[in-house]
Parts: sequence; C-alpha cells; structure tokens
Amino acid sequence: MTFIRFFLLLSVLLLAACSESTRTPYSQLDQQYAVESGGTMVDALSGEPSGLIAMLAGESSASAIAGNIFNSLLKYDKNLELTGELAQSWQVSADKKTITFHLKPNLKWADGQALTSEDVLFTWKVMTDDKTRTPYGADYKLVKNASAPDPQTFVVSYAHPYAPALDSWASLHVLPKHILQGQDINNSDFSRHPVGSHYYQLASWKNGESISLVRNPNATQGAPKIDRLMSRIIPDKAAQFLELMADNIDSMALNSVQYARIFPARPELNQQFNLYKELGNSYTYLGFNLKRKPFDDVRVRKAFNYAIDKQEIIDGVLLGLGEPVSSPYKPGTRWSNPKLSPYPYDPEKAKSLLAEAGYSDHDGDGIVDKNGQPLSFEILTNQNKEREMTAVLIQRRLKEIGVDVSIRVVEWATFISRFIKTGDFSAVVLGWGLGQEPDQFNIWHSSQQEPGQFNFIGYKNPQVDHLLESGRLELDPDKRMKIYHQFAEILYQDSPIVYLFAGYGLPAIHKRVKGIDNPAPPAGIGHNSYEWYIPSTLRRNEISAN
Amino acid sequence: MRKVIANPLALAGLLIISLILLLALLAPWIAPYDPNAIDVKAILLPPSMQHWMGTDALGRDIWSRMLFGARISLLVGIVAVGIATSIGIVLGAVAGYYRGWVDTIMMRLVDIMLSIPTFFLILAVIAFLTPSIWNIMIVIGLTSWMGVTRLVRAEFLSLRNREFVLASQTLGAKDFRLIFIHLLPNSLTPIIVSSVLGVASAVLVESGLSFLGLGVQAPQASWGNILTDGKEYIQFAWWLSLFPGLAILITVLGYNLLGEGLRDALDPRNQ
Amino acid sequence: MLKYLLKRLFWMIPMLIGISLISFFIMHLAPGDITTTEAGFNPKASEESRQKLRELYNLDKPVIVQYGLWLERMSKLDFGNSFASHQRPVFWQTTDENNNTKLGMIQEALPITLLINVLSMGLIILIALPLGIISALTQNRLPDRSITLFVFIGFAIPGFWLALMLMYWTGVAHHWLPISGLHSMGADKLSGFAQGLDTLKHLILPVFISAITGLAGISLFVRNGMLEVLHQDFITTAKAKGLPEGTIIFRHALRNALLPLITIFGLSIPGLIGGSVIAESIFAIPGMGKLFFDAVLMRDFPVIMGILTIGSALTLVGNLLADLSYAWADPRVRKGVMQ
Repeated sequence: MTFIRFFLLLSVLLLAACSESTRTPYSQLDQQYAVESGGTMVDALSGEPSGLIAMLAGESSASAIAGNIFNSLLKYDKNLELTGELAQSWQVSADKKTITFHLKPNLKWADGQALTSEDVLFTWKVMTDDKTRTPYGADYKLVKNASAPDPQTFVVSYAHPYAPALDSWASLHVLPKHILQGQDINNSDFSRHPVGSHYYQLASWKNGESISLVRNPNATQGAPKIDRLMSRIIPDKAAQFLELMADNIDSMALNSVQYARIFPARPELNQQFNLYKELGNSYTYLGFNLKRKPFDDVRVRKAFNYAIDKQEIIDGVLLGLGEPVSSPYKPGTRWSNPKLSPYPYDPEKAKSLLAEAGYSDHDGDGIVDKNGQPLSFEILTNQNKEREMTAVLIQRRLKEIGVDVSIRVVEWATFISRFIKTGDFSAVVLGWGLGQEPDQFNIWHSSQQEPGQFNFIGYKNPQVDHLLESGRLELDPDKRMKIYHQFAEILYQDSPIVYLFAGYGLPAIHKRVKGIDNPAPPAGIGHNSYEWYIPSTLRRNEISAN
Repeated sequence: MRKVIANPLALAGLLIISLILLLALLAPWIAPYDPNAIDVKAILLPPSMQHWMGTDALGRDIWSRMLFGARISLLVGIVAVGIATSIGIVLGAVAGYYRGWVDTIMMRLVDIMLSIPTFFLILAVIAFLTPSIWNIMIVIGLTSWMGVTRLVRAEFLSLRNREFVLASQTLGAKDFRLIFIHLLPNSLTPIIVSSVLGVASAVLVESGLSFLGLGVQAPQASWGNILTDGKEYIQFAWWLSLFPGLAILITVLGYNLLGEGLRDALDPRNQ
Repeated sequence: MLKYLLKRLFWMIPMLIGISLISFFIMHLAPGDITTTEAGFNPKASEESRQKLRELYNLDKPVIVQYGLWLERMSKLDFGNSFASHQRPVFWQTTDENNNTKLGMIQEALPITLLINVLSMGLIILIALPLGIISALTQNRLPDRSITLFVFIGFAIPGFWLALMLMYWTGVAHHWLPISGLHSMGADKLSGFAQGLDTLKHLILPVFISAITGLAGISLFVRNGMLEVLHQDFITTAKAKGLPEGTIIFRHALRNALLPLITIFGLSIPGLIGGSVIAESIFAIPGMGKLFFDAVLMRDFPVIMGILTIGSALTLVGNLLADLSYAWADPRVRKGVMQ
C-alpha cells in the first residue's frame, strides 16, 4: 500500500515541479486600473453547441457563442429598449404593415467583404426556406414581401400589422451571402467555421473541450477591449465550481447556495471574485391541466393559489434570491402589471374555497373529498433541482389544506413527448423563458392547444384571445402596455397557473475583469461585456493555468 | 459458518450488514425527524446535537433521511438481486440440464444481453417507464441475471453426471424433481455468493444512476440522491456528502467482505 | 481448429443483426425523438417545422422500416450522420467538395477513451499482480487481509465522490494537478513532448479513479488463481524436489495461474471502448461514455446505433479472441476444442 502511495506522490511531485504558477496577490485585485485592451477571459459551458448557426442550433450554449460572432438588425440596450445594431434607423409605415431599415454605412464581414442589405435579404430567404431545418421560421414567414432596394436599405412588409416583428429582427443573425450562397445550410461547414460581423470571430473549436474566440478587426460595432474569449466545456457543475476556486475560469453562474452560503463563509473567495445579481428572464409556475377535474373549477385553482406560500418557496429554494411574480412577465418591465401582487398565503381562505367547490373532509382521513373521491393528484416536473424542491414545498402546503399530492420527476424528452404533448398530466412545475417581446399568443391563445403547441394547459378565454390578437396588431408601446396589463389581470382572476417566482441570475466574475456595471441594469450585466477589460498586470499566465 | 466467523474480514462484513439491516428495519422508530419534514429556517446546518448529521438544502434532517435511505438502497439491492437470481436460476438450470440446442440458444441469448451496455438498457427502460424505485429495481434485475445464469449452468453441467443424479434418473425421477430437489440445492454455493455480491453492486449502480439524475427521485431519500445533492458543496457542506458516501462505502464493503468470505468458506477446494 | 473458427465467425453475423435489432427497438421504446429534445419547448418553435424535421429524418415511418433503412446503410458501412450535432458523421470524417473536413464523432471520442482505458488497465495490472501474488502467498494472514480490505474499499467507494474530493485536494487546496479537461490553456503552443506531458497530467486523476475500482476484480482473480495452482500436486512435487521458492512461484505457479487472465483480457476488449459516463462528466473528458449518454438523452439515433454496433461487434470479436488465445495457451483446452 505504501509503495503505491509513494509512486503516486513521486509522479505528482515530478509533474508539479514542471509547472509553477504565480498567483496574483489578492490586494492587487481591488485597485483601480486604467482601461487597457488585451487579455483572455475564460468561462465555462455546461453543454457543447451543436453548431454556430443560431437558426439551426437552438440550445443556449450555441446562442451564447453565436451571439458574440453575429449581428442582427436590431438589439436591446441596457434598459431593454430596441435600438439599432446593423441598422442605424428604421421606420414603420403609416399603415403599420411595412418596416424600412436603414443600415449603417461601411459595414464589413470579418473576412473584409462588405455587409449590405443583400445579406439581410439572403438570411431572410434562408430562414423562410422550407428546406431549412429550423423550428424558428414562423415569425419570418409572416413577411409577405422582403426587398433590398439599395445596399443600405432593407424593406419588409406584412399582410397585417405585426407588433412582434421588430423583436424578431433583433434575434435574426445576419449571415453572409457571399459565403453561403448556393450551399445547403443544413450541412454547411459554415456551422463549424462561421464568418460573422460582430466583436469576435472563431479562433478554434476543440470538440468537447473548448471554443475560443478572438477579436474581429472588422467588427461592425467597434473593438472590444478583451482580446480573446475562451469557453471551456465542463458539464458538471461541481467541477465548474472547483475550477472557479482554483482560478482556472473567470466566471460562473452560481446557484443560490453558492452565492448565499458558500461565498460568505469563504473570505478568500470574496477577495478574488465579485458577485452580481440580475433578474433572470424566466418565471417558474405551477400549471394545471384545465381539461381535467378538479382544475376546471376556478375556486379550486384559487384555493391552491392561496394555499401556497410563495415567499417560503423563494426563501427555501432560492435562499431569498428571487422575486414573486403576478403577471406572466419579468418583474420591473413595462409589460408587468404593477397593480397586481401575488395571492397572499391564506390557508383558511383556501379551505373555504375548496369547501365552496364541494370539497371537504367527509370521511375524516385528512384528505378533502367530494362525492367520495379524495382530492389527490400528481405533480410532474423535469430534472431540475429548483423545481424538485419547489414541488416538495407545494406538496407540504397543499397537504395542510387536505389535498394529497405526489411528485414525479421525469427526464426532459420523456416529459415532453409522453406527458405534455399527450395532455396526460394533472399539474406541472415548469418555467417559461421570456424574451423582451410581450406577445404570448403561442402560450395562451385558445387556438394553440394542438399536441406540440404551447397552450398545453388548455386555457380558453375569449376575452384573452381577443386581447392577444389585438396586442399583435398594436404597435404603439403605451397602448400595447395597456392591452397586456389587462391580459395579466384576467389571468390573475382566472388563476390558470400559480405564479411561483422569478429567480436571479448570480454570476461570479473574477476581479481581474473590470468595467462591469453594478448593480445590474435591466438588461443584465452582460449588456456592455465588450467594454469590460483586464488590466495587464492581472492577466492570466496562460500555459501555467492548470 | 464457523469458517466465516474465523475469517476476521468476513466477520466484519457480517457485522456491518447486520447493523445496517437492523438500522434500516428500525428506521421508522428510531428516526428523530420525519425524513421529509422541511424546515426552511434550518437549511444546510452542520452536524449538531439537534441534527446529528446536519441538514440538507431544504432543512431536512440528514440522519433521518439516511435511515430511510438505507431502506431504499437495501431494498433496491435485494429486490434487484432477487429478480436477477430468479431469472438466472431458471435459465441456467434449463440450459445446464437439457444441454443441446436449448443450451446453445440460452448461451447466445446471454451473449447478446452481455453485448448491449447495461447502462443503455437501464436508461431506455427508465426513460420509457419513468424513474421510480420499482422500475429501477426491475431494470437492474433484468440486466444482471447473466452472471448467475452462467454459474448455475456450470454447476448443473458438472453435477449432472454425478452418481446421485444418474441413480435418481434410473429410478424414474421426473426432470422437475431432479432439478429442484437434487441439482439446485447442490448449486447453492455460487448462487449465494453471487447474490451477496450482487446486492453490493446494485447499491453502487443506484448511486451512479442518481448522479446522472436517473436514480430514486425526489422527495424520496436514497443514499445515492443525498450524495448527489451534496456534490456541489463538498468543501462547504461536507456533511451532505461524507455520510452517504461513507454509508455506501461501508455497506458495499460489508457485502463484498461477506460474499468473499462465504466463497472462501464454502469452497470445497480450500478445505 | 479452422472449423471451430469458421463456425464462430458464421454465428457472429446473425448475432450482430439480432443485437442491432433488439437495440434499435429498445431505442425506439423510449418516448420522444430528436425533434422533441431540440428546441422542444421553445415557444418560438412551431410544430409544423418539427414535423418536417421528422419526415426528413424518416422518424415518421414505422420502426421496422427505419430499421431496414439503417441496416441497408450499415451494409455499406455507412454509419450515417448525427441528428443532434448537425450532420457530423457518426463514425469517420467526411470531406465535401470544398475540401471541408468534418471529423467523425466516434473518431474523436474513441482515442481518448482508449487511452484512458489502456492506461487504467496498465495501472491495474501493475498494482494488482503483485498484490494478488502477495495475497496468495500470505493467505489468511495480515498482508492478505489488508490487501483484500484495501481493494474492496477501492471497489466500494462511489467513484464521483472520490473524484470530487481528489479534484479539490489536488487542484484547489494544492495546485498540483489540473482539475478537469484534457489540455491546459495555450497547450497548443507547447512542443509535442510537452503537450503529451500536459495531457498525461490531465489524465492522472481519471485513470486513477478508473483503476481503483477495477483493482479488486483483478487482484482477487490473481490471488484465487494462484491459490488454486499452489495447492496442486505438481507444486508439491516441485517443493519436494527442492526447487527455490522464487522459481516455484514465478516459473511454475504464476504461469499457470495467469492463463485465465487471458480470458479476462479478451472479455475486456469491448470494455475498452466504453467510457465511464460519470467519470467523463466530472472530468469534462469528451469520450465515448459522454457521447453515448448525450446521444441517449437527445435521442440521437444514428450515434446510439453506431456505438452499440461497434460495441457489440467488439464484444463478439473479443469473446472469440479470448477463447482462441486460451485454447492456444492451454493444451488441455486446445484438445477439447478440436474434438
């Protein structure tokens, strides 16, 4: 036994001797530094992109990387307002059916070729081509007519005014016609060797290991301060945290426990990293299958809403790092109705509502029942720690009002195909990821209940239908706001789902990265990531960074 | 049995297993808290007098969860092995007794099953049936019968030509009787040994499945999922990983020591 | 001998087909397919486009038809392209008209897994052989007991737990070893030798973890094999003849005891290509285990079938090699086989 240990120790020491790294003394990290260009920032990805053409590769890792390589016509600024990226201005016609974009002059691709409206038109054609294997084409197919009358102008017209249109142009990555013309986009090598126009271009992609981006000298938006971005593919979150602690990666998205418990307990971590808190773009909810009893009874749904203590869930599951929600929107944005606040925790009210609906404990077994049937159902959720814990808390609260709930955790693909698509569920704990665009037609309109569509809970309210339809046609932001506020109010009254929380994103970033806005603006800290810089004395020493 | 006790390692294994089984059986009576009792104010507390093994991310008492988790982990092991052994005995007996083409087909079937990675089978079946304790037990059982089959077949093949079998056959004993009353009891040794070792493996497999998210699901406690829950906080909430990790280690160790000890004790060649 | 060989080879084809058929059907038992996993729940994705995707990949046809199509392609040794990784070839690289080469997925994942497995096997043998011999020679005494205890602990410890603790100790608390991944940043600027050393450093922990679990099996096997041989008559004869202890152990006992080890090697050939999903996830190593696991979760059928086919082919070949080499090494078995 000892000789094995000796052997191992010897080899470890030998190899360790070959790499001595100098770690920056912590005191240097807090000083002020002037802005400098250069350096590398390393982060971690849990999954590997399948490709870098965003319309084909939908996963978050792909859009994260592709977002550094490609531009869209529009983008969202730090306050989540639409502003031009490739376009310097745009006009909506009087009949609201046509949008004219004016591109900035002298735009170039990373390979030096000119970027013109021809590229935008080409990209739109590819997106709407039936042969392109993209699931995201619906918005773009609504365009009746698209044209590029001159190299700086791009015009689209719709059959009807379509308010979500501008948002769709903020998410379409413009692709180079001179490279992709004539190629089959689905099989093109471009996916692994993209040429874009944004701050960075692809330097190397080592499958399964890392993706490196390097600055693009022809960037349409100017020069970023940091020279290289490297994303290491580290699937396991525990391993990511270890790498963060060993100073092998610069940033990581923490979970609540790491943020609220581990960091405070470890002074050396706080000396090296800055912690940020930004409101995430999703909300978690408890959804009911409205086509199944007893969920078709609004009193029962409201009873559940009163019975669940949402603050307890935020405190318990997120350690307080989240906010309650009462509209299907990100809190603090104009679409979120400020007059609504979550149903308070009121078990007595819950019980009386249940009694009104005919449910009380007739047989004394602790579970309420009606016509001899106990009120018991199963909550389904996917493999997500937060959702699992949330379900457990819900189970306990519902038990207190006499409802028997069991929990089942299901793997994602099975979850979607076997339960959601078929409508074979009673209740689910899920989340909706929200864009900046308030249109929620796909989720709440009664026409979207086919298998595979997103109104899988079966919500049907003609008033809401009408509001959603008019919301799509109304381009004036203030009028739209009123429409969606009203929409939220009706949902509040109907309580088809119980809003649970909107969690915070909790990035931890090494102090060597300067220039980050704190506190985070509505768009999150990443909005000005191109202005972040790493002073030369703090840069990592590459080879010895084990 | 005397041999087993004489072997200190096997004895240790026996004691460990007995202790764990005892704790698991008595869990509902000796657990200080309800294993599913959430206490939002007691999240991630280190071990103390109130919580011997600390609390987890929802404030649940780990010691209580470990006790009930013992029931689950052991149950999974025992039932899975039970299924595997039953299948193995039947198939191995048939192959070893009847030989000929029956044997060939059985062995090809075993080969086929051995070529398909266990993990894949487990994953597919669990994904299809959704993870639940019963499905996990059944799947582990359905994927580990091959070893037992081979063992039983080998024993039958060698025993078949012994005098007592031939004698019974001449006396006109039916196949069924031969198999169950004569051959099987004499083949018990390797079956017992492999069962004991099988339980150990099943416990390890369950913890591996938990790591991948396919083990026993929340809110039920199993050693595997307590360990997995704690893996991101190993340096901070060390109690979340240390106790289930040690528990798995000691239990699997115990079963292995006992199994090997039994093998040594019952092996006629060592006498 | 030749007849035996031919008979075995002949049996392999129906077996392979049988295995692939069973695997294919099991794969389709699990609900969902690539269209549900990719953008399955993004409200911006529409059902018609998903339906189109399904048609493109032939997922809407009955399972037996899909199997037929797959079998047809396989007969030309075309493993197809991955659904999830946007048409990367499953097995070997392809080069299109523009001289763009797409590397095959198995082509990239296999060498890493092989390297880890071979190193791990090497380490196991290096340690297990002496341990097993010592154990056998000191049967039931302290060294035997402690070695047994040690190897069993290695087997019983949950791999990912040990891995994380070691990663913390060697990588965070002391900066001795890298924590995860295969290469250090900027390693491509190093010389070939230094690069190799860098990769080896990254592999120390994964190989160690992999070896420590396999130690028990082999060392016990050696121990029991040695014990069996040591109790036999010819050893007693050799002792009576007055041969020195060393000669007895190494020339006579060991060679006979190790024969069954050949079978183990043959049987572990298929294991060589199977990476441990857990180890690969923790250490961020892009090997066959992770490839397979991800493919199953994403319902990436071509990749799943590709790996299974290679795995089962190797199993059958490995079994055959094991049987053949055992027959070659042990004259008694050779006679039995030839009859």
